[in-house]
Amino acid sequence: MNAATLIAFEFPPINMLLRWQDVVPTVNKVVIISILSSLIGIGIFLAAARKDPKVAPKGARNLAEIIIDFIEKQIIMQTMGPSGLAWTPFLLTIFIFIYLNNMPGVIPLIQMPATARMGIPAFMALMVWVVYNVTGIKHQGPIGYFKSVLFPPGVPKALYILVTPIEIISTFIVRPFSLAVRLFANMLAGHLLLVIFALLSEALFQARDRILIPVGVLPFAVLLFLTGFEVLVAFLQAYIFTTLTAVYINMASHAEH
Amino acid sequence: MLISTIILAAEDMGPNPIAPENKELFWGAGSFLVFLFVMRVFLVPKVRKGMEVRYNAIRGGHESAQAARGAAQRDVAAYEAALAEVRAEATARIDAARQTLDAERQAKVLEANARILAKRAEADGALASARAAARGDVAVAVGSVTASAAALVLGKTADAALVKRAVDNSMSGGRS
Repeated sequence: MNAATLIAFEFPPINMLLRWQDVVPTVNKVVIISILSSLIGIGIFLAAARKDPKVAPKGARNLAEIIIDFIEKQIIMQTMGPSGLAWTPFLLTIFIFIYLNNMPGVIPLIQMPATARMGIPAFMALMVWVVYNVTGIKHQGPIGYFKSVLFPPGVPKALYILVTPIEIISTFIVRPFSLAVRLFANMLAGHLLLVIFALLSEALFQARDRILIPVGVLPFAVLLFLTGFEVLVAFLQAYIFTTLTAVYINMASHAEH
Repeated sequence: MLISTIILAAEDMGPNPIAPENKELFWGAGSFLVFLFVMRVFLVPKVRKGMEVRYNAIRGGHESAQAARGAAQRDVAAYEAALAEVRAEATARIDAARQTLDAERQAKVLEANARILAKRAEADGALASARAAARGDVAVAVGSVTASAAALVLGKTADAALVKRAVDNSMSGGRS
């Protein structure tokens, strides 16, 4: 018997896994997920806002308040202090939007995180880059901000030859690039891992040689584990992106950093 | 080899899979900005305001509960102070009553003792009178018997004064 007939595992082209056909012009699955993420986020907070705030919160209001509390206590107070509470709506929106764009990667039948495409992470990172630079200029003035970035206080002057180029690259190039790539790469890697183990499980379960069928349990178990792991990654990436945004804004707001 | 049958078909790579697609970038940006606008302007302030209202109500309830607890503690302290005052007053009254009773008892005892002494003195007087009367009677009787006995023995009447002196001397035990 030809070995090729035992198992047929064919990994599809990468673009077939990531690039989706347009449903209507310019609107594909990734676009729909990003729009739905906004609508779901708005829907949760709209339902929360309509409920009587004086009674004990439950349902959507409870969820909304838990998220606000989480953002304020676990991110803003830890990185920015009380002065950062004015950034709650911005950081809250970033967190929810990224999380809701990550989660479809583990939702059956959807199984595509919108952040596994570079468009949304790139925009988010670019927006954060603009926001923290504008905040720095607003708080310290253009000269003060660029001076504090290019010539960090407390560094011996001789080291500025080395530090200043590093700071320029770090603040203006690496930060937005790492923000975008971290989110995108993590979600893409998770998506590809799920695809690989799903295809491997399917191939083994459908193998012509019946002895291989039980072996399919192994990649299927890994698939289940990775699905659970991706739930954690979806949350973690949203948390990391939001925390770093808070850190960058806080650093831009205060010259002493 | 079994696994050698795995076929990796990577032909037709197409466009760069990691390059951002404009439509995804712009739709994503639009979605986020709309979401941010609605959250920033309407939803988060409203939810936050509701949270503040409830937190303030809870804080107010907590403070009024603390105030009620303080008032209750003050009432308890005042009650205990009043109770102590009443107890002290009751103790003082009891002590005063006890002293009064003691004084009255002492007076009654003294009065009773005096009465007893008076009665005893009276009884002693009566006893002495009765004894003296009986002694007189006995002396008369003894004198009469003695006189009669002496008349029988001597054959003549004895001197009455002499008999009386002898009887008196005999009854007094020779003490005269």
